[in-house]
Amino acid sequence: MIKRIVYGLGALALLLGLYGFYSRLFIGEREVNYGSYVTWGLWVAMYLFFAGISTGAYMLATLDHLFNVRLFKGAGKYALWGALVTMPAALITIAFDLGHMERIWKVYLSPNFGAPMAQLVWGYTLFLVVIVVSLVLTLRRPQTLSTKVVMSIGLFLAIFLSGGVGALLSVNASRASWHAAMLPAQFPIFSLTSGVALLMTLLGWFTPDDETRQQRVRLLGLAMIVLILVKAYYLWVDYSVALYSGVPDTARAVELVLFGQYAWAFWGLQVALGMIVPLIVLVQPRLARSGFWAGLMGVLVLVGFAVARSNIIFPALAIPELEGLTEAFHGPHLNIDYAPSLMELSVVSGVVGLATLAYLIGVDALPFLKKYEVTK
Amino acid sequence: MKQVLQNQQKASADVGRRNFLRALAGAAGAVTALQVLDALEAAPEQVAESLVPQTVTEADETADVLIRMQADLARALKKQPSERRWVMVIDLRKCVGCHACTIACVAENKLPPGVVYRPVIEEEIGEYPNVTRRFIPRPCMQCENPPCVPVCPVHATYTNAEGVVEVNYEQCIGCRACLTACPYGARTSDFGYTYAEGTPNADGLILGRDAADEYERAPNFEYGRPWPREAHGSPMGNARKCHFCLHRVKEGLLPECVTTCIGRATLFGDANDPDSVVAQLIHRPNVIRLKEELGTQPRVYYIV
Repeated sequence: MIKRIVYGLGALALLLGLYGFYSRLFIGEREVNYGSYVTWGLWVAMYLFFAGISTGAYMLATLDHLFNVRLFKGAGKYALWGALVTMPAALITIAFDLGHMERIWKVYLSPNFGAPMAQLVWGYTLFLVVIVVSLVLTLRRPQTLSTKVVMSIGLFLAIFLSGGVGALLSVNASRASWHAAMLPAQFPIFSLTSGVALLMTLLGWFTPDDETRQQRVRLLGLAMIVLILVKAYYLWVDYSVALYSGVPDTARAVELVLFGQYAWAFWGLQVALGMIVPLIVLVQPRLARSGFWAGLMGVLVLVGFAVARSNIIFPALAIPELEGLTEAFHGPHLNIDYAPSLMELSVVSGVVGLATLAYLIGVDALPFLKKYEVTK
Repeated sequence: MKQVLQNQQKASADVGRRNFLRALAGAAGAVTALQVLDALEAAPEQVAESLVPQTVTEADETADVLIRMQADLARALKKQPSERRWVMVIDLRKCVGCHACTIACVAENKLPPGVVYRPVIEEEIGEYPNVTRRFIPRPCMQCENPPCVPVCPVHATYTNAEGVVEVNYEQCIGCRACLTACPYGARTSDFGYTYAEGTPNADGLILGRDAADEYERAPNFEYGRPWPREAHGSPMGNARKCHFCLHRVKEGLLPECVTTCIGRATLFGDANDPDSVVAQLIHRPNVIRLKEELGTQPRVYYIV
């Protein structure tokens, strides 16, 4: 039943996305609201979000295929498949963000390896290959050394790429709220949390309701409680340091999130829906063992993460580099008050729909995924 | 008393001589301009050589600052590119906030809606009735340590031998990492607009959208080659920025914002030439650079 509903929601999301895909591919970037001051918008935030899920899902797949955790035997391939469908979702959203997406090959032929973005493009390419190889190896030779070597490489890449996304932001010394060494260090934890949330949903909603599932989602729920608390601690550290510093440029982005135009999304979606509600539900053993509730909490945490990624990107860019710059000249895309346009939201809806349908169709149609196995 | 009168007469004679020299320099400038026009019509391939006017290279310190900078430029162009270092000096005491430089830059580089290289930031100091206004033109700072360069994933932005940060339009993938990294907000992205959009098409003698579009689609000549606006090709979709009008400079012409400045507030030249106007100005104590604490070493100096 749940699967049918998710199929329907995925199809609806894709349908809603067709307008955005058409607009971006055939008209261009005219209908977007990001521009020359808020240089990166919703699509960059969603790229961070999907890439985080993908790398996090891979980290969890190693529980099965590298660390041989008994309880997660058989779950690894679902995590790997999740990683494989979310990484292209990340790449589609970031490709749409490029002014000249047809020139992406230049990153391969004339890369500047000193730039975090070039490192990430090469890293993602390698990571995609590693995911595919991991999937093949885990199905054909699950317990061999070659599988463990490939999974180790994949784990390293997953951590490196998660941190790299943080580095992509933190190298910008002109953006005070990003320019912290903590940012690249935090991102692998965020990715792991996203991966746990995804797996909670996948195992909670799309596997048979037996004792193994209850134990698995309960364990993932406990991990999620810890990770949410760690995330809350990071938020406290980041925001309190910025506010206590007394340097207006450092504090302004945080003030925008806490009390400004993004406050509703922060308090309502990121904190209440994405952190507090899952905490309340998951600390109750009866609910935490329920596949339905675990799956739903996974979705809520993911929604909270999508908002959290946005709250990292938008407010930092909404602070002009020079006071008075935004009033000095006017024109399209020279706006500091960013909110995603309908077209940007449409594209994201389409990408979510694509990833959802790709996951479900894969699980239902691919022979190696259809067969559900557990080790008791 | 006699001494005072003698001094006044001397001063008056000096003023007369100075005015005469200025007039002479002005006439020389006019003649040069005519020669330039002749040269443009006669032999385009020799324009670069002929645009370095001999009369200008001899301008003395009493000449108008534009004539002096023209002479500085002519001297600099005789050197190897790596031996010169272009800098801009903006005298905030002289800037009247007319925005002529902004508009001249838009016209010279045919900048579309939403793209600006040289906005003028207005700053209000104090509270009524004790209020003053300050105008801060903000071109690209052409940093010696530009944060925009290392973040470009494809080497599309780089510092050339003369110290100017350039954008290779056909290499740029439009990721806007450079816009994000620039601490001065000096780059804008071209989203492909034209001013004629929304103009109705018209028949007959009325100028309609087609005719207006034709003008807007005509190429600009940044980086010394034509860039027509068509089919979402570069520079549409690219990061764009001030480049000190290099296409003019290499032809012996000052950047457009410099020649247009009615208050002679914007100055340009080779900082490696100790006799140039800019070299003499940038070592003064009342010179600042924006956000110097970042260590970007901007090549745009402000006199305050």
